[in-house]
Amino acid sequence: MIRDFLVWMATEVGKGPGEYDPSWTDLLASSLNFWGLLEATHVLSLMLFAGTIFIVDLRLLGASFKQTPVSVISERILPLTIFGLVLMIATGVALFYAKPLLYYHNIWFRLKLIFLVIAAINIMIFHFRVQRNIADWDTLAKPPTKARLSAMISILSWILIITFGRFIAYDWYNCGKALPDWANAVQECQSSETGAVNLKGVAL
Amino acid sequence: MTMAPQDFFPHLADWVANLDDVFPGVLVKPYFAQFEVGHLLALVVLGGSSILLNLRLIGVGLTDETPREMNRNLAIWVHIGVIGIIVTGLLIGSSNAERLYTSEAFSAKMVGLLAGVVMTYGVTLPATRNNGEVGSLSRVCAIVGLAIFAVAIWVFLSAKLANPGLWHVIFAAGLIVAYATRGLTRIVYLSGAGLMIVAQQVMTHVVFKADDYANLDPTNKAFAWGFVVWILGAAIVHAVSSGRGANGGSFTKAMAFAAILVWVMTAAAGRWLAFA
Repeated sequence: MIRDFLVWMATEVGKGPGEYDPSWTDLLASSLNFWGLLEATHVLSLMLFAGTIFIVDLRLLGASFKQTPVSVISERILPLTIFGLVLMIATGVALFYAKPLLYYHNIWFRLKLIFLVIAAINIMIFHFRVQRNIADWDTLAKPPTKARLSAMISILSWILIITFGRFIAYDWYNCGKALPDWANAVQECQSSETGAVNLKGVAL
Repeated sequence: MTMAPQDFFPHLADWVANLDDVFPGVLVKPYFAQFEVGHLLALVVLGGSSILLNLRLIGVGLTDETPREMNRNLAIWVHIGVIGIIVTGLLIGSSNAERLYTSEAFSAKMVGLLAGVVMTYGVTLPATRNNGEVGSLSRVCAIVGLAIFAVAIWVFLSAKLANPGLWHVIFAAGLIVAYATRGLTRIVYLSGAGLMIVAQQVMTHVVFKADDYANLDPTNKAFAWGFVVWILGAAIVHAVSSGRGANGGSFTKAMAFAAILVWVMTAAAGRWLAFA
């Protein structure tokens, strides 16, 4: 169902009346400079977002700004982090829109999404549970275990998200290549345009 | 003549062609993607720490702490970031040398890196260590760093197909000014920028057709210069009108502003390597 929606989005949305009129996805993917600007903005917004959330996490781990209350660090730095996040999501969605089916059948993109969900859940837990009694540990050089655990999960999640995001550019597991059965299954290669081929070279 | 390394160092062609067959390039090549991730993570660490330090010198961000305290906590991450990008950059460069040798964007990135190192170690770190005071040595470094930055911009501007990457620098400069300004200055600045954005969209999407490159190219360049003048004008007005704060004057703020942009330009040139 998701794939059908993506096929419709990629081929029909924004398409003119002519048989060969491009869809918005085609226009975006084939733009001379706009796609490049989006991609580089995605990376630069990562510098702002991940770079600042990293500093907040270091404070929660008790490794930096030990004399500064956690609430002050959050209040001053998180607006920058959130701005970076909004820019990163906006450019990320646009990049996905340019090549939705390529990303849909990509194992690294799927892993990236899983860890984005983990990072988002971690933020929710921190915001609604861990931070509830922040007044008790706001000024402690070393915040309680639950806060440090949350910071550790955050740092690891974002490192993995960046790693998997970078790996998307590589074709190691692209559908249509001879792949292990698990890779064909995880990426739903059989429904992809290039199909699924196992390690024996047999089309599935 | 282009601005690629091969144009400046043509005698290195044979050495460059052989780099991916010898240590360390030959060892890095199979793990190119993994080293690229290391490069990106180092950039993130450098980006976060450098942005926060320089914003503090501008007078925004984590203003509850003194610049010296910021330096005490963040300098180590600046060092890790700079060493990280250089070491991973050398390693991935050695396994991909021929591609970089012919790239103008790579030239812009290398000159930008030099400017970034000079600005960071000559201005940002000493200025934050001295609570915003810029000594005479730092002033010399600032002038040298700015001159190198200007060369980097010129090289980037000359890099055909990669030069749209300069929009990132303009965009970042615009955001920093929007973040730093207050009150009427911010309202006037954002209104003017908004009008220019609308005007540019009308000119490049309504007045001229999408394939009319003969008109689109000069129009976009004219708007780029318009944005630069508008943003720098607002930055100067802010730096002068905000006066000398407790942690440095207009010069400190201007150099901190430039120090962020140097790293943005260097990172942008690195990314545009992939497109040109």
